[in-house]
Amino acid sequence: MIALVRWVGTAIALSAVAFFLGDYYNDVYRKLLLWVALALSYNFLFGISGQVAFSHFAFYGIGAYSVVILLFQAQLPLPVAIILGVVVCVVVALGVAIPSTRLEGFYLALVTLALAQLFIVVLNEGGTVTGGTGGLVDYRLPTILGVRIAGPWYTAVIVVLVLVTLAVLWRLDRSWFGRACRAVRDNPEAASAMGVDVARTKVIAFTLTSALAGLAGMVYAFVDNTVSPPIFGLENAFLLLFMVIVGGAGRHAGAIVGAVLLYLLPFVLSPLIGHHHALVFGVLMVAAILLQPRGIIGIYDRLRGS
Amino acid sequence: MKNPILQVTGLTKRFGGLTAVADLDFEVYEGEILGLIGPNGAGKSTVFNLIAGALAATAGEVRFAGEPILGLPPHAIAARRIMRTFQHNRPFGGMPVIDNVLVGAHTRFASGLWAVLAGKARAEEERQRHRAAELIDFVGLGGEARAEVDTLSFGQGRLLEIARALAGEPRLMLFDEPAAGLTPAETARIADIIRGIAARGIAVLLIEHDMRFLLPLAHRVVVLNFGAKIAEGAPERIRSDPAVTSAYLGNAAAA
Repeated sequence: MIALVRWVGTAIALSAVAFFLGDYYNDVYRKLLLWVALALSYNFLFGISGQVAFSHFAFYGIGAYSVVILLFQAQLPLPVAIILGVVVCVVVALGVAIPSTRLEGFYLALVTLALAQLFIVVLNEGGTVTGGTGGLVDYRLPTILGVRIAGPWYTAVIVVLVLVTLAVLWRLDRSWFGRACRAVRDNPEAASAMGVDVARTKVIAFTLTSALAGLAGMVYAFVDNTVSPPIFGLENAFLLLFMVIVGGAGRHAGAIVGAVLLYLLPFVLSPLIGHHHALVFGVLMVAAILLQPRGIIGIYDRLRGS
Repeated sequence: MKNPILQVTGLTKRFGGLTAVADLDFEVYEGEILGLIGPNGAGKSTVFNLIAGALAATAGEVRFAGEPILGLPPHAIAARRIMRTFQHNRPFGGMPVIDNVLVGAHTRFASGLWAVLAGKARAEEERQRHRAAELIDFVGLGGEARAEVDTLSFGQGRLLEIARALAGEPRLMLFDEPAAGLTPAETARIADIIRGIAARGIAVLLIEHDMRFLLPLAHRVVVLNFGAKIAEGAPERIRSDPAVTSAYLGNAAAA
């Protein structure tokens, strides 16, 4: 009960912020929230389950494109489009995960990298279905019971997405499933001897987190009301990896800190050094790996411990 | 006579031209400590890995509680409540001691993923956490439940191996040289724990090459040499068996 009050209170507080922001900062805030949602689910996949996958941002794109295509080309109602969009993500995730977990870890990285590239090729060559290089534009969120959610109210929808993502991952992490994921990451042979089905655990973690990324993508589709191939390129897949590593892999708080920091950093750095902020990211990344593999959260833990 | 919980018949494993285990028969009863000993290279570890599902057998049969288990993957073996320890400790490094033990209880959780997502698995989680804490106390790691595993000594790590395996509520415990690398005091402690486990009615199969540790502990002993059984019986009889003495002395003379 207290927990529920806390979740609702957080939702109201985070949503209230949107009502005090202008259009520009509302847009920044929405994208920040979406990065947090993505970093949270990617942290479960990479940090907790230990799977080096580069497909997470592609699933964000698959979710976004799916919902738009299902709504405006297949003319399906919104709830049906959302459910089918999740089904698309789950089917693609299973198709990637089941064969790759039979191979060693390195191959998952290669297969998911190939998927991310293939996704962009399909988008570019998709003709009228995907809108080709120009993508899909000029659509708007359908009305729900005659109401069209817009402005700060849509930001509140994104807040709910972030909190649902966090709640799902939180519960998984503190269960036999979360421990099985960590056990598989730390020592697959010992995990197996303790009764953990290693392949099954990996496939479920991959599919669940990919579906969460897809769900975030569906919400994103109505932030800019545009989906196009360059948005879902590999650059962002690597940014996601940076966020989780710099923040502290394996920890929800680390994912949140990493996402907030690396998303906001360019806004601070751009006036100073222009587009060279990528260089700063690189340095941060190397520093994190060499000096503090547990990321910013690791530094925080150490300060608190001493 | 009670029925054996584990029944090994004609177990054979060949690696290319080398026969590591040859037509081996033995059984283990509930509450019994069966020692499987032999000089280095006798095939003890191979037998262990065949039963634990880590290796595929060439021929033979292994029945557990009447069901054939040969060919099952390790996680399915654990689900049948056969739990093992590792000779070289293999803790899960990214988790505290109690979570390591809870991984051992993996197959004992009844709630599915949907129950977890719906928040309906909390009571079970609490119950298992309580039980894990009891097991940590049982092996003597009481003060370390919240500790990170990399702060444990080697001997404490071995105790964690045992607590983690016990969390799977085993009907058969497989110990792979549990005394290897331990101090005499730690070894005595491990022997007490193993006696306590058998006293709970759990069958124990103990792989060991140190006879001084095994003989006072085991109820019955099977001696392997070059993959074949050369003796079987009570520890006192094994101690004076000429075939066993020569296998061990021959091995010592060659070393």
